[in-house]
Amino acid sequence: MAKYDVVVIGGGSTGTAVARDCAMRGLKTLLLERDDIASATTGTCAGMISSGLKYMDEPDIVDMCSDEVVYFKRIARHIIEKNPILTPLLEMSDISSGGNFAEEYSKRAETRDVPPVLFLTPEDSLKIEPMLNPDLIASLYFEEYFIDPFALCMLQALDAKQHGADIKTYCEVTDILTKKGSITGVQYFNRITDKMESVKTKAIINAAGPWAHKIAALAGAKLELRLNKGAHVILDRRVVNVGVITKAIEGRMIYLFPHENTVLLGTTALDTWEDPDTLVASQDEIEYLLKSMEWVIPSIRDARIIRTMEGVRPLVPTWKIPEGDVTRGYEVIDHEPEGVSGLISFTGGKLVVCRHMAKAATDLVCKNLGVEAECKTHIEPLPGNSDDVDILALAKEYGVSQHTVERMRARRGSETATILELTRNHPEWKTTICTCEPVIEAELRYAIRETFPQTLNDLRRRVRLGTGPCQGTFCTFKAASILAEELELSGADFQLEIVDFLAERWKGKRQSIRGEQIAQEELAQGIYACVGNLDQALEELDYDLKPWEEVL
Amino acid sequence: MSEEEYRTVLATLKEEAIYPYTEDEMQVVKSVESCINCGLCIQHCPVVAAVGLDRFSGPRSIAVELSRSPPEYWTTADVVYLCTGCGTCREVCPKDVDIPEIVNLIRARIFKHRPDLVPKQLHAADAIIIEHGLAFVPWEDPEEKVESRDMRLERLGLRYIPDQVVKGADVLFYPGCQAEERAQEVKESAKIILDYFKVKFTLLEEMNCCGLPATLLGDDKTALELALKLKKKVKDLGVKMLVTTCAGCTSNLARIAERDAWGIPVYHMLEYLVEEIGIAKLSSTFKRNTEEKPLKVTLHDPCHLIKHTSRITMDYAGQILSLIPDVEVTQSFAHDSCCGGGGLVSYHAADVARAVMKENLAAIEETGASRVVTPCPLCTAQLEDNLFRQGSSVEVDDMTVFIAQRLP
Ligand SMILES: Cc1cc2nc3c(=O)[nH]c(=O)nc-3n(C[C@H](O)[C@H](O)[C@H](O)COP(=O)(O)OP(=O)(O)OC[C@H]3O[C@@H](n4cnc5c(N)ncnc54)[C@H](O)[C@@H]3O)c2cc1C
Ligand code: SF4
Ligand code: SF4
Repeated sequence: MAKYDVVVIGGGSTGTAVARDCAMRGLKTLLLERDDIASATTGTCAGMISSGLKYMDEPDIVDMCSDEVVYFKRIARHIIEKNPILTPLLEMSDISSGGNFAEEYSKRAETRDVPPVLFLTPEDSLKIEPMLNPDLIASLYFEEYFIDPFALCMLQALDAKQHGADIKTYCEVTDILTKKGSITGVQYFNRITDKMESVKTKAIINAAGPWAHKIAALAGAKLELRLNKGAHVILDRRVVNVGVITKAIEGRMIYLFPHENTVLLGTTALDTWEDPDTLVASQDEIEYLLKSMEWVIPSIRDARIIRTMEGVRPLVPTWKIPEGDVTRGYEVIDHEPEGVSGLISFTGGKLVVCRHMAKAATDLVCKNLGVEAECKTHIEPLPGNSDDVDILALAKEYGVSQHTVERMRARRGSETATILELTRNHPEWKTTICTCEPVIEAELRYAIRETFPQTLNDLRRRVRLGTGPCQGTFCTFKAASILAEELELSGADFQLEIVDFLAERWKGKRQSIRGEQIAQEELAQGIYACVGNLDQALEELDYDLKPWEEVL
Repeated sequence: MSEEEYRTVLATLKEEAIYPYTEDEMQVVKSVESCINCGLCIQHCPVVAAVGLDRFSGPRSIAVELSRSPPEYWTTADVVYLCTGCGTCREVCPKDVDIPEIVNLIRARIFKHRPDLVPKQLHAADAIIIEHGLAFVPWEDPEEKVESRDMRLERLGLRYIPDQVVKGADVLFYPGCQAEERAQEVKESAKIILDYFKVKFTLLEEMNCCGLPATLLGDDKTALELALKLKKKVKDLGVKMLVTTCAGCTSNLARIAERDAWGIPVYHMLEYLVEEIGIAKLSSTFKRNTEEKPLKVTLHDPCHLIKHTSRITMDYAGQILSLIPDVEVTQSFAHDSCCGGGGLVSYHAADVARAVMKENLAAIEETGASRVVTPCPLCTAQLEDNLFRQGSSVEVDDMTVFIAQRLP
């Protein structure tokens, strides 16, 4: 049986950051993820690595976030973008609430290389964002950084791998083995080999996000979380020039952020006891967001909604206070005192502090294991870290359009040239597979070979396949055949891949479907059901309808 | 808030390549947003047909890919300058996606943010527009211009009607840069036609470009300046309507006249003839037999008329030709297809423009016609040039000239 110094459970932002830190410090590390990297909460977050906007009352957390932004800019600059943000003030009373924030933000502005909070006149605000309600009396202006959460997790995982860690996706932890109150190993079901497997270890870091309490329970430990769900509505293309933050109907803050080539409208915060796996955004949440944003962006309902997404925050369990008052910090819990030695869990936290969380947990593991090693995760760059990829030269050299190369750079950084190099022997791999992003065949093949995806959904997380306005209408078939060829899938599995991917897209589309997206859906149905005959094929395939697929 | 603070904001916007959409532009963005990736347009785009998707990824990619994120617009320069703006895609699109307009919008962003990526020939064209207020360098020696005009008149057997500038005239005749500086016979023919029908018309004291080429190359500022200058001239003359003979001018003038509230209608000469002079009057006009045996003629449809203004203009063209004795009109199977000269493509990618034209040439030869007639001096020049290169015996006439020649 294989033996590891440490086993990390969960492949979200926290788990991948932990695996990376552990591996970099020389620990023999295994990461187990029951699905794909970044397939849960992390994949549904806004990717804002914020200055601590919502928690100005917790200055130490604000400091922590500020530092983390600086580190991210150092280690992952190719997957970071900066968004200017306006907070339009419609009434005098709005102004007062801005004060504390402006002061706290501005204190740390310089370290993060942004200007202090500015007050803009209505005229200037409207020049920057003509979509604003013209009745505004002023606006606050500031700048925030954003990171691609999928890319961050993937790069952390890949970097961990490069430092010797084993990363296993589709391996669900089913039991934690203990002996006399000490961890001895982990048992998991490997969905790829269809087998139960187990490994020996003395240390486990439980980074299972909103499932962390279930993992703790496997070892007989107790962990409490306050689970809180949040929805995003995703709008096609950049319909606003800059980010917009405003007060929602009950006074919480909500936002509209340009993200890549879309805009995110979010988010809600509702305590939840639902199953995070099958959770979808509710009509109430969608309406809450639209209604709240409509005051400052009156035309918001005209924008094309492509889908929604819903995630569950594993908050620190403090009760009888509103969600907004729960700390945005995190806790590292060593279960030793309750008689389970070797198990460390998290509660709380955020994407922005994932590296910080990892450091705290890894420090503890190192101490427990008696290993002395320094944390270097804030210094050593992640793979592809570079913003000086010469788009024009590469486009010319390989005969690929500049925009294709630029989008590839945004996902791959300095690996772009390596991918393009593949087209020398395979000029046909310049074919555009996903038209909306766009993604060419070479990048798909590369992602399949280098980043261990098992499904089209995994590819989506790696290359943004099918995330544009057509939601996979055009690319699913083509991408599935490439995946089938690379992974040597059977004909039936090839068809299942298509159906699974479309079903997953449907999960996000169903709740908000309206306007153009209905026309789009008609076309998708036409292609895959009428032309591709997949509705007929379904009967012969071993396919179970997903909980969100209604049957009539 | 101080000036300086606002400048910080602008600096960030510039650094992040965010050039805010204006409210007008949002209408265009809204139209592109409705694309459902059906791909219909690709099958109809003349540039895609001529050079293939590898060279020009086509209207669909402009809609679903290239126009989604303004900070990335600069990377689309290798594609968006190859669109001829013909408007075919918009016409076939089930969702009314306005590709030509989003292309202009993107080009304008590139022009501001990354002028180095604008084809250098377009910068040269822009410099001329800025310096002269015209799309071409005007004649250095006015006498030579007159000589050239007279030579053309003589060759075509046309008489000379003196230029006139009359305040309060009914019609302002606007020749456009091509007919003003190069194809002077078109301007002269228009004057002949207006004179023949005893129209009280005027010219501009000093011609200035309508701004279309500036818009197409992305220099919105210059385009706006030219448009406003023209508006002032039009207002000062106090005319009731404007008539032009250029397809591009027709569509652009109609657009800016509405946008800037000129308060007068804009007509192409063909529209003017049919709608204002009337078919009845026209049918009694052409009596004289001009040719021994029927002249076989085919029509080329300028995109700026059929796809940017109204299809009816070319119905009018057919109607008018049918009134002229001894002219037999044959349909070209490439009717409705772009001459390749639009969108300033021929300025910097002559090979693409020529490839687009090739389809037209084959179709024209196929008709067996000995002459192509088209109501636009730019299409005329583009066709003439390419037919000549090909060694074809087919001749080309601007339709205004063709009509003027056949007036009694
Ligand atoms: C709507 C929303 C918006 C947000 N926006 C932001 C933001 O802008 N900025 C920010 O900093 N934070 C944001 N957050 C918070 C942030 O997303 C989370 O705090 C963070 O992503 C949690 O990451 P995680 O790795 O702990 O959890 P997860 O991403 O959920 O990862 C846990 C992983 O454990 C795996 N797992 C579970 N059980 C098992 C098992 N038995 N065996 C193996 N693996 C298992 C799961 O499959 C999952 O992949 C947002 C959260 C939400 C919900
Ligand atoms: S306007 Fe014409 S050239 Fe441009 S994309 Fe559309 S069809 Fe093609
Ligand atoms: S025809 Fe219209 S809807 Fe179809 S792909 Fe082209 S632009 Fe999009």
